[in-house]
Amino acid sequence: MTRGLYAALAVVVIGLALYPMEATGYGIRFMLQLFMWIALAQSWNLISGLTGYVSFGHVAFFGMGAYTAGILIAKLGWPWLVASLAGGIMAMVLALVIGWPCLRLKGPYFAISMLGLNEVLRVAVSYYEGLTGGGNGLSLPTLYASVQIYYVMGLLALGVTALAYVIITSRFGLRLMTIREDEVAAEAMGIDTFRYKVYAFLLSAVAPGIAGGLAARDQGYIEPISVFPLITTITMIVMALFGGQGTIWGPVLGAVALFTLQELVWARFPYIHPLLFGAIIVAVVLMMPRGILGVLQQKYNLPRTI
Amino acid sequence: MIGQVIISGLLAGALYAMVALGLGLIFGVMRVLNVAHGPIMMLGAYTSFWLFHWLGLNPYLSLLVSMPALFLIGVALQRTLVSRVVDAPELSSLLLTFGVSIALVNLAQLAFTSDLRSIEYLTGSFVLGPFAFSKSRVIACGFAIVITVAAFLFLKSTRLGKAIRAVSQSREVAQVCGVNVQRIHLFAFGIASALAAAGGSLVAVMVAIQPEMGQVYTFKSFLVIVLGGVGNYPGALLGGLLLGLIEQLASLFLTTQINEAVAYILLVLVLLVRPTGLLKGRT
Repeated sequence: MTRGLYAALAVVVIGLALYPMEATGYGIRFMLQLFMWIALAQSWNLISGLTGYVSFGHVAFFGMGAYTAGILIAKLGWPWLVASLAGGIMAMVLALVIGWPCLRLKGPYFAISMLGLNEVLRVAVSYYEGLTGGGNGLSLPTLYASVQIYYVMGLLALGVTALAYVIITSRFGLRLMTIREDEVAAEAMGIDTFRYKVYAFLLSAVAPGIAGGLAARDQGYIEPISVFPLITTITMIVMALFGGQGTIWGPVLGAVALFTLQELVWARFPYIHPLLFGAIIVAVVLMMPRGILGVLQQKYNLPRTI
Repeated sequence: MIGQVIISGLLAGALYAMVALGLGLIFGVMRVLNVAHGPIMMLGAYTSFWLFHWLGLNPYLSLLVSMPALFLIGVALQRTLVSRVVDAPELSSLLLTFGVSIALVNLAQLAFTSDLRSIEYLTGSFVLGPFAFSKSRVIACGFAIVITVAAFLFLKSTRLGKAIRAVSQSREVAQVCGVNVQRIHLFAFGIASALAAAGGSLVAVMVAIQPEMGQVYTFKSFLVIVLGGVGNYPGALLGGLLLGLIEQLASLFLTTQINEAVAYILLVLVLLVRPTGLLKGRT
């Protein structure tokens, strides 16, 4: 069973690696964005799925990465790959600065302060026009690198999922899940909850930062409202929730399902897009809050490390 | 100059306090942060706009329509959706109300288009010595004070109000004392929506009406209840006035763009330094 799964995974990875040879421009872009959503949903899963601390402003790290990379590419002429990695590092720095105070807050307070952080960043980016181009946005020099970005984004998605696997199957992951189930009990058992929450938060910020940098390079133009939208945070949350938060494959499953649905169905109804999305959110929350994998786990007694 | 700023701040603050009292009521009673509070307020503003547009109804009289109408919509929302996530982890209620919120905004866009609307009813200002007050703001402040005081009296002295406060102090004990908790939840959500609707009807005369006008109020209301102390209803009053003052003072010293961020920075600071709020609430 496990061996079969690994074989299937290997086939999928090889297939995706060979895909650009056959694909159309649209196909590449579709997969590239799918990889991005997997990376984002999985990152959110690392902090919120495992510790239960709802990051309601996770797109802040995406935006931070996008602007870091955008500025480094446009103003200093850095190569895009290095600039995107720098975006990931800056997102981690931001996570440290924000996580240090905010991870002491509990429940909805943490969620809302993350939302606030995102708004503050958006306003700050609009304000420092000299560096960021303000509300006019920042244009990057033209470059056709979709195929290269496809591979890097794919590696990123694979990397975050591997990271989720390593964490969930480790003692570190167990500690995080203990915090989720009962933080007071976790402390009573000698877990330094604050330290582990900060670690998880830092790890969850890297991939959105890198993905932000890659997305900025891919689109060639960024502006405050395009890289800090609350709806992006909500989308990654719903993807993780739909697949099964706190699991390894749930966010991947959720991202594939919802993104495909979005491209195939919603793209035809742009005017009622938010209405449909709102209905999907409500349906997921009410009918399957544990997600697809959560339901399967319970029903068939599957291992926690799925 | 400072005097003018303080007065404008207090005028805006009374409105914040009223809207935030609604959000605080839901949060206090059910521990649900209703992200759709702002969009409900937007519906109140549109109710007044259309009544004015079609029937020429005085926008202040339309409070009598918008408040009961949104009370009913609030009760319906609570009954069909929110009641199912009251005891779920906060992620469920945050997401659910967010879903309702974008659906309401989208419906408003479809039904009313995204055009900016305005009610041209009261323009001009009262001039009193060196100070000038926009008429619509003074009247809105007056209505806000009356409605807020009425809500406080209701919470303080009626049976239903006492039951609401009891549930927000301890649901189990209230239940043991024979309070029908589900019914209290319905009323709390309805009253909160009516307060938001009143806010919407009052700002409809002052600012441009459009489907996305409400969201910022959700956040500001949350800041107000955190400032005042969660579950501490008089605290919402203090918090609202403070937020109004701080925003006006900030607009004096900072550019408008940074001004938008002041509320957010303030929220994080208050949560860190004094999480129980200025008047002691629950954590």
